[in-house]
Amino acid sequence: MAAVFPPTSMPTTPARRPAVRRPMPWVPIILTSVALAYLALFLLVPLAAVFFEAFKKGAGFYWDAIREPDAWSAIQLTLIASAIAVPLNLIFGVAAAWAIAKFDFRGKSLLITLIDLPFSVSPVISGLIYVLIFGLQGWVGPWLSEHDIKIIFAVPGIVLATIFVTFPFVARELIPLMQAQGREEEEAAAVLGASGWQTLWYVTLPNVKWGLLYGVILCNARAMGEFGAVSVVSGHIRGATNTLPLHVEILYNEYAFAAAFACASLLAFLALITLAIKSIVEARQQKEHRK
Amino acid sequence: MSIQVIGVSKRFGSFEALNGVNLDIQPGELVALLGPSGSGKTTLLRVIAGLEQPDSGRILFNGEDTTDTRVQEREVGFVFQHYALFRHMSIFENVAFGLRVRPRALRPSEAEIKRRVMELLKLIQLDWLSDRYPHQLSGGQRQRVALARALAIEPKVLLLDEPFGALDAKVRKELRRWLRRLHDEINLTSVFVTHDQEEALEVADRIVVVNQGRIEQVGTPDEVYDHPATPFVYEFLGNVNLFEGRVHNGVADVGGGRIHAPEHRNVADTAATAYVRPHDIDIASAAGADTVEATLNHATRIGSVVRLELSRKDNGAYVEVELSRERFEHLNVATGNMVHFKTRRARVFLAENHDSDAA
Repeated sequence: MAAVFPPTSMPTTPARRPAVRRPMPWVPIILTSVALAYLALFLLVPLAAVFFEAFKKGAGFYWDAIREPDAWSAIQLTLIASAIAVPLNLIFGVAAAWAIAKFDFRGKSLLITLIDLPFSVSPVISGLIYVLIFGLQGWVGPWLSEHDIKIIFAVPGIVLATIFVTFPFVARELIPLMQAQGREEEEAAAVLGASGWQTLWYVTLPNVKWGLLYGVILCNARAMGEFGAVSVVSGHIRGATNTLPLHVEILYNEYAFAAAFACASLLAFLALITLAIKSIVEARQQKEHRK
Repeated sequence: MSIQVIGVSKRFGSFEALNGVNLDIQPGELVALLGPSGSGKTTLLRVIAGLEQPDSGRILFNGEDTTDTRVQEREVGFVFQHYALFRHMSIFENVAFGLRVRPRALRPSEAEIKRRVMELLKLIQLDWLSDRYPHQLSGGQRQRVALARALAIEPKVLLLDEPFGALDAKVRKELRRWLRRLHDEINLTSVFVTHDQEEALEVADRIVVVNQGRIEQVGTPDEVYDHPATPFVYEFLGNVNLFEGRVHNGVADVGGGRIHAPEHRNVADTAATAYVRPHDIDIASAAGADTVEATLNHATRIGSVVRLELSRKDNGAYVEVELSRERFEHLNVATGNMVHFKTRRARVFLAENHDSDAA
């Protein structure tokens, strides 16, 4: 990168600019104001409102709302669901991206389309699919109830729905990156005697580590925030099958606004932390790309 | 280590990359696979390396069938056109990679790895850059690192895919002389792919001319340049003039000039093309039985030779002639003058022969 130094002839204190009137750059000013106003109206104001409402009745009330047993159980369930869904989708995402970017096989475009499926299907439908398969009236429902296995209206259903909704994130992030990097380094590793695992571990993954981290962050954010699909399979049993987003809805429907906003602020916090990590990762990624 | 390629064919979809290729490479040889882009030369190299599986045919190393040996176990050194260095590893780690990924029982000790890597880096004169990363190196340096990395595993054969293709002209010239010296030093059977005839002629012991998935000719640089086996080789290696005409009983008539072609003495009146190198044409002092009349368009002095562009009087076709400087000055002709040229040496290919080669 070329460092920009002022020309040596320039005095240390900037001289007054000659009075050449330049026309006002109206177009950039208008477009920038529109974008900023829109951002403030639809993103910043609601975000501020969440925190304002959450702390309206004081910090003590805020902590009580979060420590309340049902809320605490919802937090735990949300953490469990993402702790299972994110690692599984990480493995799937790496495997799918590796296969798509580095090998040619029949049905490759079908696989790419299928990976996008959760993006194109409404989350409610995603949840309903599991009810239709595992529910009491579903395909394997009777068999499951005979063996006393509960999937729908229980934790396994929530985990399944979360996995389904979040599985494109890691793969989607990695595929273009791996495709752009080509296959030459992998071929070089193979010629040098590296096995498939060694190539994956020492060559492919280090090359995509920032993209991978970015994909995991997005996947995690979605896993914790998912509402639609989880709502269908959860059954809303307080203290048992409520995730944080579902808990917020219940509190809100019961007019417990301050408590609802307190719980919602946790999710908002998560979003802010995700954004912060994302910007750091993107900065690192750009730095690597400039190399 | 000798390499034998026996009847290798390879298709990519409907594209026939290799079509029944046979090739013998002797131990310690430096062989160039020369051909235009899309001729199949890179595919042939990748099949030898094991990076592609041939549809049919066998690959033998030292007489041993390696066709079904996986690329990891083939012990070949491969240098990629765009180097394919591991971008997140230092130069040292790049070169050490092939040793580090060996199974524990075969892996050298850390001290031994360090010794061997530094030895190779000294060989390529880059030991002072061992802790840099590939993006901090110039193209020529990266190419040398790629070569050191390939040599680190002590390969049986060294394969190079367009090793100098991505470099600028000056670095190219330096590097190819260096490669030639290196080869003479380590004496490893080596095959490199190039589309640059000058590179092949300068560096290789033998040249394999490849076109449309087939081998057109195999020979020393002098053989392929002086005695091209097919019209394709004639046109691909060096400049050549084409004279259309007819052959009858061993004599080709190409519009005034007669060319002896004893190899076609049993041929009766067939369309043919004579291939004549610019330096195999002379300017005659006067019109004769075997001369053709032409106008001198211009003459360019290039070092010790003079390149003349003539246009034939009968059909207007351009003819390129190369004369020594003394010869040209002795002739005392100027631009626009009428001259008579005579072919000293030519190779005549029959038309149907030509067609079948071109198809």
